[in-house]
Amino acid sequence: MSALAHALAPPAFMHSDYGPELKPHVHTLPGMTSVGVGDLFPSFAPAITSGDPGDLERVRAETRASLAKVDMSGLTADDSVNILASEHGFGLMGGWPYAEMIKTIREVVLKRTPCRRINLRLAIYRGFREADEVNAHFGFEEAFEGRVKGLGPFDPGVKVDTTIGPMYLVKRAFDATKFIHAYYDDPREMYFNRLLYKSFKSFCMSYARFETRSVYHSLFGNRSGSIIPRALFDCAYIQQRYAFSSVLRTTPMGVIGVDATQDLYAIDRRITESHLETYGRMQRLFAEIKDCVAVWDGGRWGYYLHAGGLIFGTLLTNHHDAFDLDEPVVAGFMQVPGAPVNFSKNKALRGIVVNQAWVGAGIPYVTMPFTSPMYIVGDEQAKLWREDPTNPLLIDRAKVVDSVESGIRAACEKGQTDKVIVFDGSYGHITCNAPMADLLRSSAPKVDREVAETLLPKWKMQRGLV
Amino acid sequence: MAVVKYVADYEVEPCTGCNQCDIVCPSKAITMVAGKPIIDDDLCIGCGRCVDRCPEDIMWMTQRTDQLTVTVRPEEAAQDKVAALLLKAGIDANVSVCVCTLTPASEIAASIVKGARNLEEVSAATGMRSGCGIYCVAPALRLLQAAGADMSPPKGFRWYPLTLSLWDISDEARARYPDAFIDEDRAAFDPEGKFGPMKEQA
Repeated sequence: MSALAHALAPPAFMHSDYGPELKPHVHTLPGMTSVGVGDLFPSFAPAITSGDPGDLERVRAETRASLAKVDMSGLTADDSVNILASEHGFGLMGGWPYAEMIKTIREVVLKRTPCRRINLRLAIYRGFREADEVNAHFGFEEAFEGRVKGLGPFDPGVKVDTTIGPMYLVKRAFDATKFIHAYYDDPREMYFNRLLYKSFKSFCMSYARFETRSVYHSLFGNRSGSIIPRALFDCAYIQQRYAFSSVLRTTPMGVIGVDATQDLYAIDRRITESHLETYGRMQRLFAEIKDCVAVWDGGRWGYYLHAGGLIFGTLLTNHHDAFDLDEPVVAGFMQVPGAPVNFSKNKALRGIVVNQAWVGAGIPYVTMPFTSPMYIVGDEQAKLWREDPTNPLLIDRAKVVDSVESGIRAACEKGQTDKVIVFDGSYGHITCNAPMADLLRSSAPKVDREVAETLLPKWKMQRGLV
Repeated sequence: MAVVKYVADYEVEPCTGCNQCDIVCPSKAITMVAGKPIIDDDLCIGCGRCVDRCPEDIMWMTQRTDQLTVTVRPEEAAQDKVAALLLKAGIDANVSVCVCTLTPASEIAASIVKGARNLEEVSAATGMRSGCGIYCVAPALRLLQAAGADMSPPKGFRWYPLTLSLWDISDEARARYPDAFIDEDRAAFDPEGKFGPMKEQA
């Protein structure tokens, strides 16, 4: 049994119309502790920021240093340029590091080029108010002198021709003569993207109309879907406008740097290698959890709340190794006939307690409450879920509890488990209780060896990286 | 099948008639008359997108007195025609096309066989797009295209006719992206080799 240290605070997050009023975090409850990711895997490099808005100097420095190597001669006085930001970057360590990289890109472009019309385009997921919320919270309106607009999948589209056929992007993303792909490398839904050209995914999601997003998710498999963002990136419409990419680099420890260049394929190779090493270990560590209750305790959609840098969806879908490309489906819409993979198949997840998170609002959790009992804390939050059209059946199966403590207690009792893991947006550590901390610590050395000796060579070979 | 618990409503006076609610409505439940939206309660599938989109913030969802069950049952459509349509589109009958309502491809196809002529009518008949409104669209459009529906996009930007699938990737594209697992996924998802490309993209 480990000594119980106080749990660390997760990143602060913004209030949203899509979530409940902010509540006290679960890490303050008695019995909660933090397991350091660096203690589990000592080979991981430390993060360069805590994510706190007052601790971003190294993000600025890394952005400037990386951009110093980028040829910006293509940006002229006659050009206008859109810095394209993707919504999930603002859910990464509270969003401030990503926001700082974006603001620094603008400063550097202003300093190094004669281009003066530098716009920010905030690509959001689905809610029409998300962009305004992000704009206000991170101070973009002031930083960009009002040249900020949001865009989403339902906005007017533009047809572009690619080698695999015509597709539709969002017109507003490309309403300048040039654009900068300002991205983040959180592998997020590794069960969908399989870490196959993940750096390109925005071109078929954030910057794309809903029809293109649907084709990517529903009419291709996990693996073959990787052709779509690449075909879009490589098409003439994009290449004529593309200036360069700047990607906020992460590991489960947190933000580790910025990688900027015109060669997005080169960035992607570097990211893939790093992620297989780091997120690969964390993913397999999660697979060692054979029974647990998960708590949602953050300011994003439940699927996308982090614990130790991995999103909840990774735990939900940990019935397969997401990086093993021999598996045709981990969690996909297209299914192998006669062998469908239920999205919520992981039997280790014995219950989910929702302390605070955005409601579905476009994120379907439909099958989840069939397999994992859900406990929603408080009537206010229950009302949001009840009114969520994306998950019309969820509230019929979930239980409403009056406190997070009673929810955890009930979930552990029903699920016959004593292990609790909290998805509260944390990088660099995992908020959990003592039995879970003991399991993670005792399992990490074995996982470390298995990944290094067996899995990593296979994953790399499958991606042509050996 | 979708069980619709809510219906859209709005405050008439401050409405500017901007038409945004109409454009994002998936089931054509909203019609603009004299610059104001008229909401057909029987067609509203409760997605709430109009409420979220309204720039004046004067729309809301109200609970229905009686829930509306929206579905096309198998016996309502000739099953041999449903099977033929799915085969032509290259979509497995059991796939959940709408992952919010868990509406299978067979039900989407049945709604088309029964007479739905466009995306809005499919949505109104089955309740698909009552949730996220995103991921179900391309399979439904592909089934409509396979049925010979008019794929001309409606006025505005409600939807565009995109139906590209794994079965449509050309040999040239496969050669350009040899690591895209096209052949492997075709073999995995269609081991019997039943599916092929649509003859013509809309």
